[in-house]
Order: sequence, then structure tokens, then C-alpha cells
Amino acid sequence: RFLTAVLHNGVGRYVRQLQRLQLLFSPTAADARGARQFVEEAAQDFARQHPDVVLYVSPRSGPGPAPVLRAEYLNGTVRDELIASKTSEEIVQLATKLANQSGLDIIRIRKPFHTDNPSIQGQWHPLTNKPSILTVQGPRLQPQ
Amino acid sequence: YSSSISFLVPFQKARSGQRVLFLSWFPFRARRSEKPNWDYHAEIQAFSHRVQENFALDLLKTAFVNPCYIESEEARRRQLGLDKDAVALQLQDNTGLAERGLSFARAYLAQCFEGAYPELPAKGIEALVNFLTSQELVSYVAQNLSIQDLALCRDFPAPPDVLQRTFLAVIGALLESSGPERTGIFVRDFFIPQLIGKDLFEIWEVVNPMGLLLDELTKRNISAPEPRITRQLGVSTVLPVYFVGLYCDKKMLAEGPGETLLAAEEEAARVALRKLYGYTENRRPWDYSKPKQELAAEKAISSN
Repeated sequence: RFLTAVLHNGVGRYVRQLQRLQLLFSPTAADARGARQFVEEAAQDFARQHPDVVLYVSPRSGPGPAPVLRAEYLNGTVRDELIASKTSEEIVQLATKLANQSGLDIIRIRKPFHTDNPSIQGQWHPLTNKPSILTVQGPRLQPQ
Repeated sequence: YSSSISFLVPFQKARSGQRVLFLSWFPFRARRSEKPNWDYHAEIQAFSHRVQENFALDLLKTAFVNPCYIESEEARRRQLGLDKDAVALQLQDNTGLAERGLSFARAYLAQCFEGAYPELPAKGIEALVNFLTSQELVSYVAQNLSIQDLALCRDFPAPPDVLQRTFLAVIGALLESSGPERTGIFVRDFFIPQLIGKDLFEIWEVVNPMGLLLDELTKRNISAPEPRITRQLGVSTVLPVYFVGLYCDKKMLAEGPGETLLAAEEEAARVALRKLYGYTENRRPWDYSKPKQELAAEKAISSN
């Protein structure tokens, strides 16, 4: 698979591919301190800067699993990012990174370029740059 | 709590007195709206920000209501034994918006192609427009805009015809709320990039390209093309290649390869048609910039 964009995104207009961001954290656990700080300080700013992303903040009661940032993309991908014992700034960075991704699988780039039309002049074949047989086998003029 | 739920399924008949537990772990398939954290109003607002358009939110919400949803919802209410007054939903479905969106999109695309490829005959333009507004393509576009999460529909997952209707209804809603100019840009931005990497004759099936070429040439008062073998290779083998050139008035019009002479001639005719219609592979890319001249004209009018 080569690097592609969903729906040739950006050819016409850019559509942000992140549609939903859920912040799941415990209101009491120690490792969710950064998450709570993010909710208090940065969550509103983030939501204001990204009006096209729906941000859900849901504190889950009890000693649940570790705090998680769950990103849902337009193409149906759901990606969980662990934010245990991360600071508020780190969470902002992570959320911005998630917002700028496309949701397609992250692949190893083998070549930094790709084209659907590999050759402008046409593919090479045994007759490329050869004169046509009309000129070779046609009636030859007598040398004068 | 998560989108995937683990099920503990105890084996009914335990083998050799042991109780075997099977842990099956598979994604729980449900509508997104039935999972936790779902705010329909916020999602609709985010949708309009996502496609960078100003929708009238009531119209946009109407665009997502499919008639099958209203039917099933009313049937469900009837089953629950509600009164007749309470059964009827106070909702309008998207039939009218979808029709308006479809007719606008078709008209706009046809006008665009007429402007961009003036040589292309009406049949070719119709084929392009049909391809772009086909159920397959529109539902593909809608799926990648996550319309299936927002659309209210009876079946899950949403069938392609519902997705197509919903996306066209969104176009109709935009037409009502922002006017034809913005809607035209919307249609262009989401449909025309789908033509990238597609050949004209993939979309428009021409059975007899040579006959079509003859018609086109007589319209332009050019003499009939004369096919000639220009190159050939491996004629006595199982994999021969012929190159046939079409000459009009001793000038080469087009050249095409093929495994047999007939196939090569047909290919040459297709190449010639592409050249005549201005839809070659190396044509100028579509201009996606905003129409500046019209804006300037509008400003001039308003300043006067």
C-alpha cells in the first residue's frame, strides 16, 4: 500500500478526519492527574480550536482502567492512546497529533514518492525510440 | 465500557467434569449512537464545521432523517401501545431535499464538464455525470464522511441507497441554506476529485470507437482515417504486438498498441477520440481554486 489520503482529501477542500475524541479518566486516581488538569485548563481551548471534533469528557467512577484518549476517525478507525501519568501539555500535544492524523494505518514508507501514472512518456517497450517499419521496409529510393 | 465487550461463555456440557470457560473477544457491532458518549446535536454541528459550510441546522437535521426511520419508529411506538396522537412523529423526512440535491448536483456537474471539455459530446457528459452521481460512488463518499453514523435509518449497517439519499439530502440542505454558489463548490470539491486516475472510456462504455471516430471526423470535415501498421513485434509468436497508426491526409492522428490488429486499431481509435475530446491523460488538472472573477464582479457591482 502506498501513502494515500481518504477521498483525495485536500484536493478539493481539507476535511479533518478526526470526528470524535473521548477522554476517559478516573476522577480520583493518581495517574489521571494530568487528565484532570487537561480538563480544567486546556480542554475548552482545544474544543474551541477544533470545532470539527466532538470532545467528550467522561470521568468514570471507581478504580477503573488507566486513563485513555480514544480517537474515532471518519473512516471508522478507533485508536486508543494511553495517557496515564502524562502532564496536561503532553495530552494537548497528543490530542493535536491525533486531530491531524487521517486514521489510516501507519505504514512504513518505502519510497518518499508515488504516482498513479508512472511515466509521462509512456512505458518502455521494445519499440520505444525505434523508427517505424514503414520507414525501414518501405519502398526504398534508388541511390542516385 | 469500551466499544468491544468481552463475553464469558460457559460451556454447557463440561467435558470430564471440568468446567471450560471460553473467552470470546470480538468487536461489539452497534450503531455509534447506541454506544456511550453520543450527543446528536454536537455531532451535527461538528459535521457542518468539518465540511466547512454554514448549514441551517434544522435543515441539516432534516436531511439526516430517512423515511424508513420514521416508519420503523412509528411501528415501534404502535407496538408499545401508544395512542394514535403520540405515535405520529413530528419529523419531516429528507425525500424533498434529496431530490433537490440530486437535480442540482446533476445540473451543476453537467455544466462544469461542458465548460471544461467543450468538445465532449452530450453522451459522454451524461456518462460522466451518471458515474459521479451513481449509488456506488456517492455512498462511498458518504461512508468516508461518516454519514452512516449520523443518518437516522432503520437498518444497520446503513444500506448504500440510504447513504446516497442522505448525502444528496445534505447537498439539498446546503442549497437551501447557503445558495447555489457555495453548493456548487461543495459538489465540485467532493465529487470531481473522484475522477482522478480514471480513464474516459472506463466511465463511458463505447462499443464501437471506430464508428464514433468516423462520425466525429465527418462533423469536423476531416477525411476518413486510414489505419496502417506502424510497428510489429513477435508476429509468429504467441505474444505479438502490433502498433496501428491512424492517418488522416497523410498526417498521423493517433497510434495505439494491441495484441491483434483489430484490437490495436480499436485502441488507436480510442486514443484519437481522447485527443479530439481533450480528455487525454496529460490534460491540465481540474482547477479547484475559488472563482475569483465572479467575486471581483460582485464587489464591483456592490461598490457601484
